[in-house]
Amino acid sequence: MSEPILHITGLNKSFGPVHVLHDIDFDVRAGEVTALVGDNGAGKSTLVKCIAGIHGADSGTIEFQGREVHIRSPKDAAQLGIEVVYQDLALADNLDIVQNMFLGRERGSAWLLDEASMEKAARETLASLSVRTVKSVRTPVSALSGGQRQTVAIAKSVLWDSKVVLLDEPTAALGVAQTRQVLDLVRRLAEQGLGVVLISHNMADVFEVADRIAVLYLGRMAAEVYTKNVTHGQVVELITAGRSGDIGLARPEHAVL
Amino acid sequence: MTSTPVSRPDEVRRYNRSSLLRLLHVGGPVTRATLATELGLNRSTIKTLVDGLAEAGVVEERVPRPGRGAGRPSLLVLPQPQAAVVLAVDVQVEHVAIALVGLGGLILGRNSWNLHGRTGEPGEVITHVLESTAWLAADLGLKPVACGISVPGVVRRSDGQVHEAPNLRWSEVALGARMSAGLGVPVVVGNDAELGALAEHLRGAARGASDAVFVSADIGVGGGVIAQGSSLRGSGGYVGEIGHMVVNPHGRACYCGNVGCWETEVGEAALRRALALPQDSPRGAIVVELRELGQDAAASLARLGEFAEWLTLGLVNVVNLLGPELVVLGDLFTALPPALLDRVGEEVRTRSMVSRAVGGVRIEKSSLGADVKLLGAAEAAFEGVLDSV
Repeated sequence: MSEPILHITGLNKSFGPVHVLHDIDFDVRAGEVTALVGDNGAGKSTLVKCIAGIHGADSGTIEFQGREVHIRSPKDAAQLGIEVVYQDLALADNLDIVQNMFLGRERGSAWLLDEASMEKAARETLASLSVRTVKSVRTPVSALSGGQRQTVAIAKSVLWDSKVVLLDEPTAALGVAQTRQVLDLVRRLAEQGLGVVLISHNMADVFEVADRIAVLYLGRMAAEVYTKNVTHGQVVELITAGRSGDIGLARPEHAVL
Repeated sequence: MTSTPVSRPDEVRRYNRSSLLRLLHVGGPVTRATLATELGLNRSTIKTLVDGLAEAGVVEERVPRPGRGAGRPSLLVLPQPQAAVVLAVDVQVEHVAIALVGLGGLILGRNSWNLHGRTGEPGEVITHVLESTAWLAADLGLKPVACGISVPGVVRRSDGQVHEAPNLRWSEVALGARMSAGLGVPVVVGNDAELGALAEHLRGAARGASDAVFVSADIGVGGGVIAQGSSLRGSGGYVGEIGHMVVNPHGRACYCGNVGCWETEVGEAALRRALALPQDSPRGAIVVELRELGQDAAASLARLGEFAEWLTLGLVNVVNLLGPELVVLGDLFTALPPALLDRVGEEVRTRSMVSRAVGGVRIEKSSLGADVKLLGAAEAAFEGVLDSV
């Protein structure tokens, strides 16, 4: 049992002459935090955008909960239950927390929004994540700290009952204390049974929360390993050289380019 | 018969003040009128106490929404979380969580990280906790005045010495002393299940029950006992290793040196076996599998039949021995399919003679979720704080 919730095989993607992703195989399992790491330009964000439906893949199959699916737009992804949290662009500053969490999917009729029920749902979701640092769910997002904004963005994925959450460097713009609070939330999402993908540059963050680490190297999946089986050094080696000891890509002389 | 010594007025006031605070801390916001009834004190005494606390910033008073009753509504007294903050630390086998918890049991900020390899060594954990606490406290602008730590192992309550925490591979760690040296505040260290029982008793499913047992499954299985309203500790505070009741003499070897301990049949590893998951699959995968199984009552009973039998057997022993009115199941047990828990409950009620005698023991899931031990550790820390706020 324990089939991956998201199973990607042989995914390719080119932008004109630039072949960005080569035959990527990638699994996301429910209840696990999978860290997606790699150097700048290794293809991390492109892979996430392919899963989120922002870019279409050139070839390859995506299976979601054991069924083959075609994700052609962000709407398709959202319907399947795939939510993406971006570094900073996730929320609308001029709206409050409730409006942000329900943005584009408001409850109520065309004439009258059901504010009370939305507010209640938002409050309950934040409480279920034991997020009590936010004073009121009617606070405008512009008044929140960086960590609180990410918290709201992540809580959105819980509210919409997502199955897979992709976090694209959620802590890149945050200070140390806030980073840790967001990572705590990431870990608890997985404990609730969601499949979580965390893109990060920070090895310390990755080792703190990830159950598995997937390493991209120049557009190829160099390795997918369990965090407890590898050391910091090995992962850095995989990121920079594509291999470390027995794990990783084949030696360059054997590789088919 | 000797006469009781006469208390001085300031002692009486201090006693009243701390019982009032405890009531607010555990029960949340209440009106002055309720405080007067609950504490059996005069309304003017309550007013003096509440005014003093409000002046110190510990409580706030608000006019409640007009009710149905006639007359002027009594003022609502709300505890201010920031007035007293403690650090709660929950050391588990695979991860550590910390939280700053305010008066009233509100989690104001939190943090956690996974343990693997060397990061699980006592020194590393202590350093990481101290460092994270400093960051968190600075970020929130709060300063903890006490600390409570939950550890899955055998702990001496008096000085926080961890004798043995086998799943963590800790032995003889002076956790209490080292943490209080690092933090500069009093530190209470307790067994995880005992603290879980405390949290359930004060804030969770066992609220209002004077005799309850908390049984939780992590990697190991532990228990905490509330007897007649307070924690049952036993000599040295070592009560509650119910995971090491021997239930199956022909069973598996347990790390404690025995064979067939209860936790080898109902712990996390046993659940993985029952669900046919690989032994290195993470906690989340078990939860997902159990949740899916929960959709189908018949399948869950079929696949986890043997597991349910061992769970029932252990619970019958626990109920017969301790005679609680309520057993609260925590941690991984909360993810078990409802149909299975119903079946186990029924079986325990028919098989246990103590349960038959008390008219049916209740078996319920923890209502505090994954935070139960964190909240328990906070309560342990608050015990010494409420008198001095």
